[in-house]
Amino acid sequence: MTMLSSAAPARARAPAGAQLAQWLLRYNFIVIFLAVLVAGALLSPDFLTFRNIANLFQQGAVVGIVAVGMTFVILTANIDLSVGSMVACGGMVAALLMQAGWPAIPAVLAALATGTVLGALLGAISAYAAVPSFIVTLAGLVTIRGVTFLMSGGVPVGGLPRGFGQFGTLQLHVAPGLGFPILGILFLLVCIAAGLLLRFTVFGEYVYATGGNAEAARLSGLPTRLIVTGVFALSGLLASSAGVLLTARLRIGQPTAAQGLELDAIAAVVLGGTSLFGGRGGVLGTAVAVMLLQVLRNIFNLLGLGSFYQMTITGLIIIAAVLLNRVIDRRQGNG
Amino acid sequence: MADDTGFVLEVRNAAKIFPGGITALEDASLAVRAGEVHCLLGANGAGKSTLLKIIAGAHQPTRGSILVEGREQRFRNPHEAARAGISMIYQELDLVPQLSVAQNMLLGRTPARLGLIDRKARLRRAEAALARIGAQFGPEARVGALSIANQQLAAIARSLTLDARVIIMDEPSAALNETELARVFEVIREITAQGVAIVYVSHRLPEIRAIGERVSVLRGGRSIGTFAVADTTEQSLVEAVLGRNRQLLERAGRAPSPSARPALEVRRLSGPHGLRIADLQLREGEIVGLSGLNGSGRTTFLRALFGDLPSEGEILLGGRPFQPRRPADAIARGVGLVPEDRKVQGLVLGSAIYRNATLASLRRGTWLTHRQLGARAEPVLTDLSTRYSDIAQPVRQLSGGNQQKVVFAKWVLAGSRILLLDEPSRGLDVGAKAELYALVRRLAEDGAAILVASSELDEIYVNCDRIWVFHEGRNLRCFELPQSSRDEILEAGLVGHREEQA
Repeated sequence: MTMLSSAAPARARAPAGAQLAQWLLRYNFIVIFLAVLVAGALLSPDFLTFRNIANLFQQGAVVGIVAVGMTFVILTANIDLSVGSMVACGGMVAALLMQAGWPAIPAVLAALATGTVLGALLGAISAYAAVPSFIVTLAGLVTIRGVTFLMSGGVPVGGLPRGFGQFGTLQLHVAPGLGFPILGILFLLVCIAAGLLLRFTVFGEYVYATGGNAEAARLSGLPTRLIVTGVFALSGLLASSAGVLLTARLRIGQPTAAQGLELDAIAAVVLGGTSLFGGRGGVLGTAVAVMLLQVLRNIFNLLGLGSFYQMTITGLIIIAAVLLNRVIDRRQGNG
Repeated sequence: MADDTGFVLEVRNAAKIFPGGITALEDASLAVRAGEVHCLLGANGAGKSTLLKIIAGAHQPTRGSILVEGREQRFRNPHEAARAGISMIYQELDLVPQLSVAQNMLLGRTPARLGLIDRKARLRRAEAALARIGAQFGPEARVGALSIANQQLAAIARSLTLDARVIIMDEPSAALNETELARVFEVIREITAQGVAIVYVSHRLPEIRAIGERVSVLRGGRSIGTFAVADTTEQSLVEAVLGRNRQLLERAGRAPSPSARPALEVRRLSGPHGLRIADLQLREGEIVGLSGLNGSGRTTFLRALFGDLPSEGEILLGGRPFQPRRPADAIARGVGLVPEDRKVQGLVLGSAIYRNATLASLRRGTWLTHRQLGARAEPVLTDLSTRYSDIAQPVRQLSGGNQQKVVFAKWVLAGSRILLLDEPSRGLDVGAKAELYALVRRLAEDGAAILVASSELDEIYVNCDRIWVFHEGRNLRCFELPQSSRDEILEAGLVGHREEQA
């Protein structure tokens, strides 16, 4: 089911209490998120400051935008391992073109086009040749990273226009003295657009149906292979956008950027309740999970826990969340 | 072996109430004699599968008791039931297709010495069990390479390696054709002669007559009674199953005669698996049945017409040439397919009812709201008298008959005028079947043209205007109804059958 399914007409409704319990079960990640927020606020007075929250968005934006694309891919019961390399590649294409004297906007558009085409290519190979996307995008992960190193000669690319670099750390003044990072705003906009796409377009409905049962979708006349190609193109587009934003924030094109980012993105999608078997989940869960992981890291830092502890505990939390979702699935007879 | 009660297996007043107060079984009793074939009959939702699971140890009864050879047993899991000599063969055979017959038969109990597999002992035990059923395949055959019937036999042989005293078979005939079923029956007779009891579950009355000695009927979670098959008419069995809601599968006098306007004209069509169809016509408002053995090309024909399999030929649809390359082509021309397996091919089971119903009719717009989709689906679902509690509930939660109505609703919403039905009643109980065909007739009265492929002649005989008999990919002969007799049609299929054997 989708994450925003309140609009469906109903014949008979469960009593309000039972309905609330249902809601809490389905959106358990929000409950967990709120609990973590309360814990953070109790642990440190600096936690719930506007500055700290703005900072969390600045840090979460890149992986967040990638995770939104990953949500579409996983909803069709596929997986995209190439996104980390795609981030680096997109950022590098933009950096190289600007270093070669291109103005920022055409350079960025070229980077996004590159990501979209590469994503579509991987998706099409998987869909039309019926190769598991795990293998195709694993090959993509290696190849695209290799190409990124080749393009840059293995070294960071600097000398980018001043304006482009400033964009990465730009703050939008929402109130006097309160700046909110443009990256965070872009992440939120991407989430909203993706949520609308999934909920209110035929494409979104087709994504759910293809992931839920590709055979039934095909026999209902859906162009399932085109849909799979489409979600990979979207994932490539969003990953290369994230790459451009990362390059702007770092002010260099870094060929080693975003290594292992695909795993963070997958973790966020799964943590957000999207089923790896496809057909169930949504962007709201992913967005909350991305921020949840950021908040956890923030709390660990406030507690002074080192990164070894952070990795261990984050991993355990993901396992616990996935088990919880499994239990809920069973209870609802979806398992 | 049986004790003084004379029963190898006895269930006394079993009830099962699931958490949340859902009563799946109220009061069921069953007494099985050693060496008999005891049939279990009941509509969907009558509690058959709950009763079977209680016997097989997969559920624990809330009340009541189970006696095996006179001794009361409490099975905590299927292993304990198996150890007591009760073995269950599920409808979806739980064999591992990649492994050999012998590996499957002794899975979980592989003979081993010091942790190393004793291959010789495994082969020996498998061979012994296969010999008891007179299997025509060896223990080293890969299960995936066997026909469904032989897989069924392998599953029976596996039960024998467990020293089963009672083997429960849940609708073994669902995926078998008549020849295969005859072979399974032969094996059943052989092993019952050896003293093993069979609990045989089926919706099909002729089968029960062919194999069963006694039949127990369940209705609404209660045992209605046990009858000797030989002394009971089909009529009274149907009455026992349906109670007051009986809707017999009787040939309905269809009011409007088919209009003369041809909806579909297949002049010639060739496709995979040797499909060669010639001169098959379908008029608006007409229901035409496709009969024949499994593998005779019924399904291939329907899938080719729907653009799901490549085909070549000359087809006219509504008077204009029709060359479907993909399902979308067929749907755009008003053709809808109700596929053979509604769970795998027909529905997105985890998705809402209204989303399934509207899936094939979305391409006209780019934007949608779920409120609109629900509003579009609801009148059609209601019109097809689909029973559900919430239009947004997953279609998985509906009964088989209601799931099938959602598939029909999908094509009604897509504006289909030609419906291709492939085994539409598979897995439905007698009442749901009758309701399904009433619905098919109504769609035909509204002008739809309908092709129904079915392996059950009785069913299409009473519901169709004409029946084509298929054989080896060809449309052999067409019978007008009701002028032709059931026997004539059956014989046409059998003639094909004899040629096949020669």
